[in-house]
Amino acid sequence: MSLVTAHLRRAGVIFRNEVLVLPSRIAVLVFILGLLLLPVFTQDSYILRILILTSIFALLAASWDFLSGFTGQMNFGHALFFGVAAYSTALLNLHLGIPPWGSIPLGALGGVLAGLVVGIPCLRLRGAYLALTTLSFPIILMGVVFAIPDISGGELGISGLARLSESRVGDYYISVLLMLVLSFAMWKVTDSKTGIILHAIREDELACRAAGINTTRYKLMAFCVSGFLAGISGGAYAHVMRLAGPSTLEVAMSFQVIIWAVFGGMVSIYGPVAGVFILFPLMELLRFIPQARMLVFALLVLVTLLYMPEGLIPWIRDKIETVCPRCKARNVASRSNCRVCNAVLD
Amino acid sequence: MTAPFLDINGLTKDFGGLRAINHVTFAMGRQEMVGLIGPNGAGKTTLVRLICGILKPDKGKVSFKGRNITGLKTWDVVNRGIAATFQNMRPFRRLPIIANVMVSCLSPRAMKRGEWVKRVEAKAMDALEFAGISDMALEKASTLSQGDLKRLEVARAVATEPELLILDEPFGGLSPAETDLMAKSIQRLHKGGRFGRLHSEGPAMIIIEHKLQQLMKIVDRIIVLNFGTVIADGTPEEVVKNPEVIEAYLGEGGA
Repeated sequence: MSLVTAHLRRAGVIFRNEVLVLPSRIAVLVFILGLLLLPVFTQDSYILRILILTSIFALLAASWDFLSGFTGQMNFGHALFFGVAAYSTALLNLHLGIPPWGSIPLGALGGVLAGLVVGIPCLRLRGAYLALTTLSFPIILMGVVFAIPDISGGELGISGLARLSESRVGDYYISVLLMLVLSFAMWKVTDSKTGIILHAIREDELACRAAGINTTRYKLMAFCVSGFLAGISGGAYAHVMRLAGPSTLEVAMSFQVIIWAVFGGMVSIYGPVAGVFILFPLMELLRFIPQARMLVFALLVLVTLLYMPEGLIPWIRDKIETVCPRCKARNVASRSNCRVCNAVLD
Repeated sequence: MTAPFLDINGLTKDFGGLRAINHVTFAMGRQEMVGLIGPNGAGKTTLVRLICGILKPDKGKVSFKGRNITGLKTWDVVNRGIAATFQNMRPFRRLPIIANVMVSCLSPRAMKRGEWVKRVEAKAMDALEFAGISDMALEKASTLSQGDLKRLEVARAVATEPELLILDEPFGGLSPAETDLMAKSIQRLHKGGRFGRLHSEGPAMIIIEHKLQQLMKIVDRIIVLNFGTVIADGTPEEVVKNPEVIEAYLGEGGA
């Protein structure tokens, strides 16, 4: 019993000293608690459905950030991973009768395979060439989808999949937990020693190789991890919509992911997640004024990129927090001394 | 007969119609410290890039510790024990300085060596201490001056614990006092031993440098390149008296 008390006390100390000291961490906590507690207050089917799709796309945007933001492999065809997994999941569920808990991870392996198929020829490419090559893959696959309507369902796609769970609230919790857990896992990887290598590859691949790092292996790993996570979101999407159609492979889908991530703030994982949670529900709200919908969207993104080139979330974070010039720890902007080393803050 | 430590045999590299390296052949021993000099455009950096696998030679062979390493990937060459610095520094600008060095400490070669495997940060810190920039460890690399970037390059190369270290203009951009300090560090490194958690094998060295006075104080052999060809190879005293070298540096009639 005393052991439990000791652990609880330790968790309390960490919570007080590490979480409650920074507004950004408090905001993340409130966001997570808000998401988890929402069904207690409302079980409105429409709101839950919007948040289910938001969570799925947030995971997709975070997986793009892992590959393109952190590793610098500019992927303009991220819909490929999403679409391949959605179709694989649909086929596994419909033809082999595999339930969602099996078909989603197996379908995500299709995303990994797609990651390898794109990753290997793209190893030698950089910048605009890489972006254009990756852009072409989902377009090619879309052609294949239309060429084999007997298997892919053609323009109508594959419909009639099993539901993700028995209820809308169940769907909601599965999607939100998948997004939270996998985004946290991605953030942990990018914050680890592997993350440093991914950063280094983005900054200067040749210098990274000259430091003895097999960059090929890490780049392929990034393609596969990103493919897997985008695949999980693709599979979940297919089961939520009960449909896997060619819209999952569209160029617009690939660009949408990039816009969400750039708007929220690249190279952070939480930035793209926040980007989706702001833009996707906003677009739904604007559905009521269809004339102004795209105009507002374009203006919002344009203004953000003009005045916040690093994205919305890092901009807000820099406004409410300062970095200690000595120990580089983050502090609330209102503090005059660093909470860690007591140095005077600017 | 044992194979030489580093054996370069008939190395040739063309860039279009220009022959940058022309049948370069030399060998060096495990304990040697060799200076590589030559006028601008002589092919020094190209030669280093050929040894490290950044460029592939058109002809010729590079052997390291008796094994042919011609055409191997750069990371493979580094993990076999050859590390090089870049003449035009290539730091990971947006990463903190310590993270720059941690990348080298995370290479398979560095991870396999010593008992400090789990202390990557501490080892990187010792490499920075060795290079003399540990007080700036948490700053972004983009904030460093030219001289400090040079030190960072050295720290990154040293952190892979190489057996052959190739330094491309280590004194470039340094003041006379800093140059002396760097020269002493290089000599200390060449002797081998421990620098905190960092272990030095006492690497053999190839040093490319234009500051000949400082270079001659620390190396025991100098190879001179001109138009991609070795024109002299000997002790510093022999090389400075070589008429071909004087002509290459000062032009015809300069002797």
